[in-house]
Amino acid sequence: SVTEVRSGFTAIKANIQGRDPIRTLSILSYPHSLHKVQSSDRCCIAHHLFNFYVDKVFKHCKTEDSYINRKVSSIANSFLSMKRKLEHCHEKNKCICRQESTEKFNQILANYEGLNVTSAAIKSLGELDILLDWMEKSP
Amino acid sequence: EDALLRAPQNISILSTNMKHFLTWSPVIVRGETVRYSVEFQGEYEREYANGSWIPICECSFITATVCNITEDVSATVAYNLRVRADVGTRRSKWGTLKGFFNPITTSLTPPLMKVIADGYHLLVELEDMGPAFQFCVLYWKKGQESRMQQKMVKEVSFVVHLDTMEAGPDYCVKARTYLEVINRSSNFSQPQCVRAQGARSVWL
Repeated sequence: SVTEVRSGFTAIKANIQGRDPIRTLSILSYPHSLHKVQSSDRCCIAHHLFNFYVDKVFKHCKTEDSYINRKVSSIANSFLSMKRKLEHCHEKNKCICRQESTEKFNQILANYEGLNVTSAAIKSLGELDILLDWMEKSP
Repeated sequence: EDALLRAPQNISILSTNMKHFLTWSPVIVRGETVRYSVEFQGEYEREYANGSWIPICECSFITATVCNITEDVSATVAYNLRVRADVGTRRSKWGTLKGFFNPITTSLTPPLMKVIADGYHLLVELEDMGPAFQFCVLYWKKGQESRMQQKMVKEVSFVVHLDTMEAGPDYCVKARTYLEVINRSSNFSQPQCVRAQGARSVWL
């Protein structure tokens, strides 16, 4: 659940964000903040982002620190669990993707692919609090 | 030639109230100290990280035959766990837990509870089992079980006020644990009954 992810991320946030030298760029918030996403698009964006983190981000976040690796595993497995739950909604067409949300997600992908894969993954992991804040903000 | 070191056997999980412990039988080597190391693998590692295993450093080269895996096995997915033994330069194969372990199967126990009659006020003190735990508290006038009242307690503050009692009858309380993340409840605790204090009934 989000609480587990939040506690896992809080434990490694300073370390992960310290590994991200590129301060002038954001993966999730450029050019528009997630908070500008309309409530009707929330489910679709969340669905895309869970897939994004599980498929692309976590596998490139291995570090030399076993404590960090254990926490990343805990976060990744919690994301997988949430992704599964959202898939049910998606399959029942309760998670419609309008053009605006698809464009927003494509922008996030473009931001991600604009960096080398390890930097992009570490930056995305470091921005998890942005995602968590947005997820916990009621529509 | 050194005999092969036997892999740890009888590997099992003890899981209660979302606290999970891996245990195994000791490997006996006369006159030697055997040390054990534990690794885990979540569903994410199996499906997206080439089946990689992650060591638990607090349980690396330990002599105990139990390991607290609560911090690592924290998501509601299926986990694999394994243990191996080391004696000097000899190392056993991995012994692996039979089947997966998913934290949603944890066993839940009712909370420790103390019912207090503070004058005419019916209060209950509940065990703090952690932020994820909620409690369903039922209370009723003894003999009027059909008119049971319920209170959901989401955060364990010091004491919970349930009701204002009448003088004379006993009031009874029982509680159970509820865990939203796995949508399961424990059994109810044994009822505890009290009577309003200072309620000097004419007949006593």
